[in-house]
Amino acid sequence: MANNYEFTPEDLKEIETIKAKFPEVMPATLPTLWVAQRRFGHVEPEVQHLVAETLDLPVSHVHGVATFYTQYYKEKMGKYVLDVCTTTSCQLCGGYDMLHYLENKLGIKAGETTKDGMFSIQSVECLGACGYAPMMQITNDVYVNNLTEEKLDDVIESLKADKMPEFESVGMPQHTERS
Amino acid sequence: MPEIFIDGKRYEFEGKPKLLQFILDNGKEVPFFCYHPEMSAPANCRQCYVKVGTPVQNRETGEYELDENGERVIRWFPKMQTSCSMEMTDGMVVHTQETSEEVARAQKDTMELILINHPLDCPICDQAGECPLQIQTYKYGPEGSRFEVKKVHKPKRVELGPRVTLDAERCINCTRCVRFTEEISETYQLTIASRGDKNYPITAPGMEFDDPYSLNTVDICPVGALTSTDFRFKARVWEMNQTPSIDITGGKGTNVDLWTRDNLVLRLTPRYNENVNTHWMPDEARMAYTKFNENRISRPSIKADGDNQIKTSWNNAIETFAEKLEAVKPADVLVLGSAHASVEENYALMKTFSTWGVNDFYFSPDVKEGFGDDFLLTDDQAPNTKGVKALGFSETSAEDLKAAIKSAKVVVLLNDELVDRGVLDSEDLKKPYVISLATNETETSKSTDLVIPITCIAEHAASYVNVEGRIQRSLPAKETKYTHRKLDLEMSEGRLDRYGTNFDNWVNEDNKVDCTPTWELMNNLGKRLGLSIQFGTSREIMDEIASSNSSFEGVSYEKMDDENGIQLTGMNKEEVSA
Repeated sequence: MANNYEFTPEDLKEIETIKAKFPEVMPATLPTLWVAQRRFGHVEPEVQHLVAETLDLPVSHVHGVATFYTQYYKEKMGKYVLDVCTTTSCQLCGGYDMLHYLENKLGIKAGETTKDGMFSIQSVECLGACGYAPMMQITNDVYVNNLTEEKLDDVIESLKADKMPEFESVGMPQHTERS
Repeated sequence: MPEIFIDGKRYEFEGKPKLLQFILDNGKEVPFFCYHPEMSAPANCRQCYVKVGTPVQNRETGEYELDENGERVIRWFPKMQTSCSMEMTDGMVVHTQETSEEVARAQKDTMELILINHPLDCPICDQAGECPLQIQTYKYGPEGSRFEVKKVHKPKRVELGPRVTLDAERCINCTRCVRFTEEISETYQLTIASRGDKNYPITAPGMEFDDPYSLNTVDICPVGALTSTDFRFKARVWEMNQTPSIDITGGKGTNVDLWTRDNLVLRLTPRYNENVNTHWMPDEARMAYTKFNENRISRPSIKADGDNQIKTSWNNAIETFAEKLEAVKPADVLVLGSAHASVEENYALMKTFSTWGVNDFYFSPDVKEGFGDDFLLTDDQAPNTKGVKALGFSETSAEDLKAAIKSAKVVVLLNDELVDRGVLDSEDLKKPYVISLATNETETSKSTDLVIPITCIAEHAASYVNVEGRIQRSLPAKETKYTHRKLDLEMSEGRLDRYGTNFDNWVNEDNKVDCTPTWELMNNLGKRLGLSIQFGTSREIMDEIASSNSSFEGVSYEKMDDENGIQLTGMNKEEVSA
């Protein structure tokens, strides 16, 4: 398979450090896929081939691992991937409303990417932040909690200016009581 | 010796066997899907659940604690255990579904779970009839499903490679195929992609499942997910007849089963033989069945004018054969045996012609350097190289063979595609009168003057010696014009053979080839030439060989059948080089 992707020397160095952590090379698959996703923004089949080649593992194994985890993007995604939670708590508190608001705002459906390649929207299952429902996660990274339409507008604006929202610490009731 | 109690019966064991294998070895049954004796046990189908407990032992004295009745106190594992991965220990107590309602219920529930997304397409599924999932659902499964929601849909008709087609919906993710490519063929071509209820085995994107052993995954697939692209939708399992035989495409002598219906061989599958191929066979060998059905020579043919062959009668063929021989001296006749023919055929040929006066017998070995691997493929392309050698045929090179043919007046050629495999050129066979005893129409048979059809391995019982010096035999699987399933006790009879009549529309007289075994042909020729030879059945011929040739001492069909082939003395693996 002709490969258009290549790791930079820094990446290769990082991969070497990862490999050194494990007695065998197989467990290095996951972190190496992360290195690849950080570099290329996705782990398309070609990237999977590159990872397999770099680690000297069967491509089928890398493919199996990459497809097992939803956080690895198996196709090209927008620069910012908005994972809107639609599982029970968020659903009850308006998760779908938030999702549909985003869809209308960006003019795409869940699972699609905007034409300019800036945003992708995904409807995802529970991200474990039920206390701050409804919420979403941006590109496997920052959580945006207690979503409202206004808050979404702000987030989109700041992302358009390439500014990630700050991490918000939301205190749980028991914490507030104690303090 | 350590002991174990399975369903209240005491067994003794040695070493550290796994529970499921031990249960199976002792003739009992526990349902399972993912376990395979040749591969690791990941215990992911969860079907082989049993209830297991160990006796309570006093740590200081090592004595078993007893209850008020004097019985050992058993500490049961808190949950059911998968017997495939359960290592046996001394004093272990096991209950299978036979003695425990709880186990039967657990197995039934597991089965219900496995069947949630399994399509109910048994009526159009190739695996139906030989499907572990189908069989075990009948035996241990629930009567129906409580799931009324729509089943998950997955890709169908995925061509994984040139020979294997995947129906992902039927897959129960036992990972046998994946483990096969990892542990047996070591090509690592398959993996389980995705997860949850959406997962199925697949190759990496852009890769093909072109493993030289890929079709074994079809055999071990416990459902109809992996199917043979070639055999798909060709026949129902229960319509076919299964006859044990030997692979003739290579020197390994892989044990196979021939599956026939209406006297056509429809597929080949591996047959277990721990000394040769265990459970596997190469894909290369599976296509051999086409040779048994297609391009068969039926009725003798003779070159009439120029190079045109016309069909002729058996009487005329024998008569011409004899006349051509009588016209020359035995020294002018070149008799070529064949590593592609059985021991019995070569022996009959040799004995007839040596009685007539021929002294030297040759054969041309068929070796492709570098073709073999460390597994089931061998450089030797012929099934019986060691056998012909042991009979006394001398190996000859292509050059020597050409020279010998040039100086001979009559050449008798036993089934060997010398022209097709490039040993000879059809021009080489122009000068002498060439009589070939052949099974298939090939370039070689076309370039000969008289072609007499003989039975192939699927039509006769005969033995072959593999590269390791192991002699194994075939059984007749399809009828010729002159044999009958009901009269030949060696032939198996399938359901359709037993209950069908000649007026059924599935019966086709055309599939019976007009040919005879070499030894019967030699009988007729010998009679015409006035030789004192008389061959009986191939069974009797083997007895004769065993008593006259020290290499075959002690060999008989009974022993070959009992022991799944016999390792000939004086032939071992080291001298395989030929």
